[in-house]
Amino acid sequence: MKDIYILAIETSCDETSCSIIRNGCDELSTIVLSQIDIHSLYGGVVPEIASRNHIENITIVIEETLNKIGLKMEQIDAIAVTYGPGLIGSLMIGVQAAKTLSYIYNKPLIPVHHIAGHIYANNLVKPLNFPLIALVVSGGHTDLIYMKEDYSFEYIGGTLDDAVGEAYDKVARVIGLKYPGGPLVDELAHIGEDTYNLPIPLDDDSYNFSFSGIKSAVINLVHNEAQKNRKIVPENLACSFQNRVVEILTKKTMNALKKYNVQNLILAGGVSANKGLREKFKNLCYKENINLTIPKLKYCTDNAAMIGAAGYYAYKLGKRADLSLNAKASDKLY
Amino acid sequence: MISLFIDTADKTITVGILKDLNLICYDTMENKNNLSENILNIIKNLFDESNLNINCVEKIFVVNGPGSFTGIRIGVTVAKVIAWSLKKPIILISKLETLASSNTKKKYIVPLIDARRGYIFTGLYNNKLCSIIEDEYVLYDDFMLNLNENYDLDDIEFVSDYDFLNIIKPNIDIPKIVKKHFNDKGVNPHQANPNYLKKTEAEENLIKND
Repeated sequence: MKDIYILAIETSCDETSCSIIRNGCDELSTIVLSQIDIHSLYGGVVPEIASRNHIENITIVIEETLNKIGLKMEQIDAIAVTYGPGLIGSLMIGVQAAKTLSYIYNKPLIPVHHIAGHIYANNLVKPLNFPLIALVVSGGHTDLIYMKEDYSFEYIGGTLDDAVGEAYDKVARVIGLKYPGGPLVDELAHIGEDTYNLPIPLDDDSYNFSFSGIKSAVINLVHNEAQKNRKIVPENLACSFQNRVVEILTKKTMNALKKYNVQNLILAGGVSANKGLREKFKNLCYKENINLTIPKLKYCTDNAAMIGAAGYYAYKLGKRADLSLNAKASDKLY
Repeated sequence: MISLFIDTADKTITVGILKDLNLICYDTMENKNNLSENILNIIKNLFDESNLNINCVEKIFVVNGPGSFTGIRIGVTVAKVIAWSLKKPIILISKLETLASSNTKKKYIVPLIDARRGYIFTGLYNNKLCSIIEDEYVLYDDFMLNLNENYDLDDIEFVSDYDFLNIIKPNIDIPKIVKKHFNDKGVNPHQANPNYLKKTEAEENLIKND
């Protein structure tokens, strides 16, 4: 069978990225230009600044990705691009660039949903085994997805309010950590002890999550302690918070695996880089004999390699966009 | 020699194909928030209509601002990727200069773009498209005061897509603009970027708070 080369572009937030993926699983070349240092000055991603940086970097990133392996655009079979969800102004740069390449080189254009990308980051570790359950955890998502086969996504539960990554960033802020605080909370949690009495969020039989309660509990706790002139112990608070969050994420995910009689679990999204979460899942899956796949750390955050992996399966299913493809700030995958 | 001209910087979008200095076809329309969807089809339709292949383009002229930040980025992204793909130079044109290309018998032209909160993007051009007051982001009242002190307002044509006093609507002259810049060396597509003439609010606040 002929090898299929997908050139993928991802600009949904603050990373300008391009990648070339062979047959949906071999990552041949990836460039990720992160703007994290720029946005950390502002305590979060500033959409207009993100868009301004994407446009300055887009052709450089595409060129470097091709040059790294000496490939020419003519040798590419299709162009995949994240069309949403994300920051509209950021997505727009990638979408216009991909459409222009598709037009000039006369290549098929494959629209890829950002979350499908995060899920397929696992395909770069080893080919997905079906049926599987995916736990998507990021700044915008906390979803449990059932996949019967490639590119079929069935929603079985998710957050009712804040995404887990959002809760992490908020907690980071109230304990005085710099943006992006999520990974710092994870680090602190590892040196702290579980001393604070925080509730386990939405501990019921459903597959839904809720993180606004525990987020408020942390904020209130910090305020109350401040009023009593007592100092909080950041590492202990981080540890207590992380333990509750990891406990409920793993508990509901393991329940879903049992109920759906599924042996394969994958983690996806930025929060799948969380060490506490990875460790707990590794232990539980080992005990329960579940086949667990976790993306490589560098593919947990936004990158085009995952878009190229997902794009390959979309391509095989005949999914195509024409030159009127538009960026979408929000769009449902499931 | 085939050139492509793209202007998506503000309210009126114009795309044209030129053979040497002659406009062989063009399309112009109001930007109704569907630019992102339409831009590639507008370009493709023009090439199809004129029986040309985009691969024969030798020069790309793109308007890189000031104006709508999103509008500018759409045009400049497309132009950058075309120029990069075809390995051709890209020539950056001021949106204010395109407005100043509108037909007038007056000595000077002042193009105006509403930048909100009393501010405008503006400049002063002579009728040969030479910039006399450099493009700037300025308070409308301050600019007018300065103009009044130094020029005879009867010598000036005010051109704008916005509802300012005593303006004429723009009627941009693509060949005139292209002629003026035809021998410009242009820039490498990687360096072809928007000229917003205004920092983002977040950057302004950061400077203020420093």
